[in-house]
Amino acid sequence: MKRNLTSLLSALAAMSVLLLPGSAEAVPAFARQTGQNCVACHAGGQFPELTPYGRMFKLTGYTIGERTLPLSMMGVLTANKVKVADPAQGATQNGDLVFNTGSLFVAGKITDNIGGFAQITYNNYDGPNPDTGSFYGHTGSDNLDIRYADRLIDTNRDFIYGLTLNNNPGVQDVFHSVPAWGPATVPGSTGPGNGLTPILDNALGAQAAGIGAYAYWDKTVYAEVTGYKTGDGVFSFMTQGNGGQAYLKGTNPYVRVALTKEWGPHNAMVGLTHFDVHQYEADPSSPTDRYRDTGIDAQYQYLLDPYTLTATVARIHEGIDYGSGVPSATINSLRAKTSFTYQAKYGATLSYFNMTNNQMQESSGWTPEVFWTPVQYVRLGLQYTLFNKNEGVTDPRDPTGASILDAKSSNTLFFYVWGAY
Amino acid sequence: MNNVSITLALILAAIGTGCQTTPERSRNLNDPSVSGKTLAQQVCSNCHGIDGNSVNPNFPNLAEQQKDYFVDEIKEFKSHDRFDPAGFEYMWGLSRSLTEKQVGELAAYFAAQKNIPDKSADPKREAEGKLVFDQGVPAKNIPPCMACHGPEAAGNGTFPRLAGQHADYIMKQLTVFQRTDERPQGAVMKNVAHDLTPDNIANVAAFLSTLSKK
Repeated sequence: MKRNLTSLLSALAAMSVLLLPGSAEAVPAFARQTGQNCVACHAGGQFPELTPYGRMFKLTGYTIGERTLPLSMMGVLTANKVKVADPAQGATQNGDLVFNTGSLFVAGKITDNIGGFAQITYNNYDGPNPDTGSFYGHTGSDNLDIRYADRLIDTNRDFIYGLTLNNNPGVQDVFHSVPAWGPATVPGSTGPGNGLTPILDNALGAQAAGIGAYAYWDKTVYAEVTGYKTGDGVFSFMTQGNGGQAYLKGTNPYVRVALTKEWGPHNAMVGLTHFDVHQYEADPSSPTDRYRDTGIDAQYQYLLDPYTLTATVARIHEGIDYGSGVPSATINSLRAKTSFTYQAKYGATLSYFNMTNNQMQESSGWTPEVFWTPVQYVRLGLQYTLFNKNEGVTDPRDPTGASILDAKSSNTLFFYVWGAY
Repeated sequence: MNNVSITLALILAAIGTGCQTTPERSRNLNDPSVSGKTLAQQVCSNCHGIDGNSVNPNFPNLAEQQKDYFVDEIKEFKSHDRFDPAGFEYMWGLSRSLTEKQVGELAAYFAAQKNIPDKSADPKREAEGKLVFDQGVPAKNIPPCMACHGPEAAGNGTFPRLAGQHADYIMKQLTVFQRTDERPQGAVMKNVAHDLTPDNIANVAAFLSTLSKK
């Protein structure tokens, strides 16, 4: 405990030296580009929830502002304390404060119509070495979204259209009900435990290459069609360093429609997503599994200084037909999150998850969180995930691996320090 | 499949190299060749509305705003003299590279729009606000707002238009004037607003938000 406290204090001291002074323009590349504070684009300065202006910044291809040094860094320190920890998982479950991930962003406008961001992440706890059991670090490509966008606007019309090249179905979305930006986006967050999640829930993150076209009409109707294929060949830079390549058969359609409305300090969205994927079980000579995901989601925001509130809910239904002849599977995911900030400094969130399926691997629970953003580049948060259900988790204390733990044994306390510059 | 990849990559490359700046639709805040009108439509409209009437009261309405006041404020943001949080968080960066010509064009664009006042929601409060606006608070030596902002609150030169401004915005700015020195150009308002009670402020803001210049 003392060691934890010492390392925490040293880490905080180091970060404060790095991050304390500076003007509002001194942080991540997009803020430098517009010269604005994080709160302009992120609701209450929290990451990643976007404000309506932040959504327009993204939809217009990250091109508002002026070209500056397009580099940013992000680092996350975490401590996870699982109620019944697996000793083999070491520092990822025993409560030690560890350096979890570090990212480099190349982000900004390229021309007046083209901009984007590409994230490269070093994961300090990528996986345990099968021989030694100790964890090793690994660097790989992370989220990427490069856009071309144009906007036809005058007092009679407002029409934004564009193209996106990205590597994670949903990462191009501007709402936070989609899994790519939804609950548990802080690296190391507990998430839905052992429950099965649909392929739309980041399963192809940095594993596929997508090119899509989108349009946003009169701040009312958003529509997008993107095709995803294997991220190899000329697209391999988007999936570099992420271990086994996911192989998709042909081009797989992702279709998104959303309706949006703003009134006073309120704004709301209701949307539909459909993703139809043919994925080889291993390499392209292996059988093909077909995933059909259909999602409905909604978001509500209240933004009036000094308060912000963002509430999201998403339900995804997935049917899987296995090429190998294994009986079909059905996976349902329900996730909801409400976050509140005050003065862009103090915040709280409450997330709910309920993963149901016919695979005996269901989970459900709640994650309350409080966080503090002392300066806009640093956030400290404390989460506790309470599991009502977490099927199929074996007891690490049983050498035979036959005993199954009750759900509450997976309850997890999670602390993080997130910084970006 | 490789052919598909190569074709897609070529399309993107063609877009990247072929699409030069379109000054009529640019969002570049550091390009003097982009007109103020274009920046108003492509950038400012995101928060202040395409016609200068913002949806969210965090952001002031700019429609029919006095040009001299508008230019003064942009200059104050640009020089960092105005440093109320809501101002510097959003406006320091956006204004940093604008030319005088662009600022003038922005002022003209928004001055030419039609202000849409908020609907009346609390007639009693608005009536009490009208008293403060027309007569001030004589007992506290608070002068009437109309003395500088005009009988219809349309403003005059460097005195801003207040008619049809969001109540929330007026309340927050009066509080900034009253409690801070974050808007030095509006220092005169510190004396004027000093003894206004929270109720006075809410009343006059409610009245102004519904006021339409005839």
